[in-house]
Amino acid sequence: MSDVPVILVANRGEIAMRIIAAARRIGASPVLAASVADKDSPAARAADRVIVIGASPANQSYLKPEQVAQAAVMAGAAAVHPGYGFLSEQPALCELLEEEGIAWVGPRPETLRAVGDKGSARQVAIDAGVPVGAGVEIDDPTNVVALGEQIGYPLLIKAIHGGGGRGIRLVTNPEELVELAPQAEAEAVAAFGNGALYLERYYGRARHVEVQVFGDGEGNAWIFGDRDCSVQRRHQKLIEECPAPGLSEERRALLHDSSRALVKVLRYRGAGTVEFLVDTESEDVIFLEVNARIQVEHPVTEEAFGVDLVAAQLRLALGLDPELPEVGPVPPAAVIEMRINAEDPHADFQPNSGDITRLVWPKGPGIRIDTQIEEGYRFPPFYDSLMAKLIVRAHNRDAAVAAATAAVHNVTIDGLKTTLPMHAYVLAHPDFIAGGIPTSWFGPVWEARKESLT
Amino acid sequence: MAEQPSWRDVLDLISQLNESDYESASVQVGDVSIRLSKTDAVFDTPETAGRVGAQPRIETGFDTPATAGRVGAQPRIETGFDTPTASATQPAATAASATQPATAAMGDTIDAPMIGVFYRRPSPGAAPFVEPGQRVEADTTIGIIEIMKLMNPIVAGKAGVITDFLVTDADAVEFGQPLATINTSA
Repeated sequence: MSDVPVILVANRGEIAMRIIAAARRIGASPVLAASVADKDSPAARAADRVIVIGASPANQSYLKPEQVAQAAVMAGAAAVHPGYGFLSEQPALCELLEEEGIAWVGPRPETLRAVGDKGSARQVAIDAGVPVGAGVEIDDPTNVVALGEQIGYPLLIKAIHGGGGRGIRLVTNPEELVELAPQAEAEAVAAFGNGALYLERYYGRARHVEVQVFGDGEGNAWIFGDRDCSVQRRHQKLIEECPAPGLSEERRALLHDSSRALVKVLRYRGAGTVEFLVDTESEDVIFLEVNARIQVEHPVTEEAFGVDLVAAQLRLALGLDPELPEVGPVPPAAVIEMRINAEDPHADFQPNSGDITRLVWPKGPGIRIDTQIEEGYRFPPFYDSLMAKLIVRAHNRDAAVAAATAAVHNVTIDGLKTTLPMHAYVLAHPDFIAGGIPTSWFGPVWEARKESLT
Repeated sequence: MAEQPSWRDVLDLISQLNESDYESASVQVGDVSIRLSKTDAVFDTPETAGRVGAQPRIETGFDTPATAGRVGAQPRIETGFDTPTASATQPAATAASATQPATAAMGDTIDAPMIGVFYRRPSPGAAPFVEPGQRVEADTTIGIIEIMKLMNPIVAGKAGVITDFLVTDADAVEFGQPLATINTSA
């Protein structure tokens, strides 16, 4: 038996590169489980070995638990790192590996289940004493005024059996509620076969703030500050930063203490993120969900605190000390990440694929680039559009915004349309520079910008 | 003790269903239940389209909820194979050949439609499904690939004469790896 543990990397793109680097850092041997499209990718070259698990479409390769588990067995893997997306929060792969005695780099399957469903995640949060959004079920749609007062306006009427954004109505005052509740019931009966409704407070100008946690699996937590991910388009994050700007000490303490309580209740194992809505019009802080995986935006936290979260994940999964420091609530630096996607921001963010003919990255202090792309790389059409993450660190937020702006203007990517022009625009916008914009900010601002050009 | 259906019985059942107008069939023999269906989603990889797509899906042996549906549209057979863990974890010799394109040498190789452990025999000690020199049809089973304890029959996908096997019995194989060479003009 070799004493070099094998880590199977069950992902692709930049996160596969990231996991391979972390495996090297801890002296492990990275093996990549790749689709046919990725078998000669830069990540494949960076790994010690590549195992082709299936055809190019993700639903025939990266999304197949048996195929990934089979590759783990063939690789003689000690642990499997699922990255983010794909199977990263699926108990199925985790359990297949357990049967084979292969470690899963992530929380226990019961944790994945407990936080994987909105209802049970909400109950876990309530049990942990974490603030959740006010919500109440409607008994009688003709008698709703008192319930409306209880929740406060604006509020949403939601069909309990609805989903995918259907069966939701925004209500701004009691008169609308009285009028719309019976209609909503009738529609819910027609659409979902069940008229059950509930009311939920609506936050139209809230920020997305999340807390990076790392649990030892016994109830103890490291808290690595917070991130603001409010620059979003249709719920897709575009820019993230650490720390979240402009949070009061009290709010920050509430977010961090709530996250610590969740780790304790769940006996959470490894890296995770607790997401919150932070309202800009009231003092409300609302639990959204627990993301039981490493996240795309983890580098801002790593750079701000000087830690390697992925290496810590691997060490913990191998039964070793994760070697993480205790840190304060606010990092000694400010870090901004820009997601460079293969999308055309001037054409409704339409994704595109093709050959990267020229590629130049900026250089300088505090610049980190997490990517798989290189000159000559053919960006494949099968997967998501994330090409690279440009991460910039400076001593405070103003300096970080200035450094990020300079960095964005010094990237050259020829051959594909990218979201770089959008980043340049946001970084120069006075609202972003001031900090603390809500998630509803980007959409209309970007549309207005397009109109002003025509 | 109830009589167990043989491998040949199962294959006969498949070909009968293929040629019939029935969409699905369910058969119980002793404590073995077999369900066949033509209507499950087909395996639609571009590289392997048509090879296993028309195959009905098979479930034999002891159908457990934990494994049901695991391989989805794949034709699937569970048998009492022992898992050769040792060979499954030492596939180094086969790694290099797997980097060849799955579509290479169109018409002269039969490529693995999935990752797993390849068997040339229906059960340990039994005669191989086919031997080099033997003529096969597109729907002739040439082996089995086991993936996480589930057995999947592998058909030739084209008619011809098998000229050689490129992997040995119980070798771990990757998706797209050539398993055998076939002379389709013979």
